[in-house]
Amino acid sequence: MILPYLAMALLTLVTAYSAVASFRQPRDGSASTWLFPNGTRRSTQLTVGICTLALVLGGAVWLTIDARHSIRRSSRFLIPEGYVGWVRVEFQVKDAPPLPVEGGEYLFKFPSSGFIRTSSPEEYGWAKDHYFYYSEKATRILPETGWGGGGLIWGKINGEESGSQGTRKYEEFFVGTEQQFGEQKRGEQNVGPGAPATPAK
Amino acid sequence: MIPFFLYLAAGAVTGFQVYALLVLAVLGCPVNPLEFVSLAGSLCLIVAAYLSLFKPHAAARLAWLASLAIWCFYGPAIARTIRWF
Repeated sequence: MILPYLAMALLTLVTAYSAVASFRQPRDGSASTWLFPNGTRRSTQLTVGICTLALVLGGAVWLTIDARHSIRRSSRFLIPEGYVGWVRVEFQVKDAPPLPVEGGEYLFKFPSSGFIRTSSPEEYGWAKDHYFYYSEKATRILPETGWGGGGLIWGKINGEESGSQGTRKYEEFFVGTEQQFGEQKRGEQNVGPGAPATPAK
Repeated sequence: MIPFFLYLAAGAVTGFQVYALLVLAVLGCPVNPLEFVSLAGSLCLIVAAYLSLFKPHAAARLAWLASLAIWCFYGPAIARTIRWF
């Protein structure tokens, strides 16, 4: 979570510094200062160039290897038709059933409470998950989009909490329109697991 | 060496963050074209870092333009986040 703040701080600093450095008028023969140096020695340039190249190549290799090792099995979430609110899955719960696998995907079929417990461990990594409303008659896709895209899945959280039964991992997300998600964040609507199911559209 | 480290750190951190957002496109997340502008700005900052060892004044100009390109993405993103909270 520190990365965005660090990025903004560094960006502000660079913008201010580069504006001052590029628009100040350097006098002929003015001495190099620590803040506004005139250049560096050839040996320093070479060393820094080689180190930078090694760093960039190392970073690219690390990102490639990391991307290959961070793939998980996809999940299919089945949510009762008309449910609006938070749904929650708790992992590694003793005596709870393991997650069924259907068509190569983990199947999460939520009851009307929007709450599932499973003995299966939580998996991390990249995968394309699918979300559906289900009823006795049919299933329909719940789109997952960015802001303003008309999606119905929001605020996915993967967390860990400690209790009397030890540490428990969980996953939560909100089912509903973007407006409903915003309203519940501001406490204007009573939604959540166990809340009355209302049509999402 | 101060401009070198400053430009390099800013280019790497902003570039990594935007790259991580772009990777989500693989999963079907929509891509904002400003993310590409920002990523290009981050790469220019890294170039400016190395250029600062030879031509500090030219590097500063490049870094300033690059930072403006990065703000194209960060500015609206910050404004949206503030409105959200």
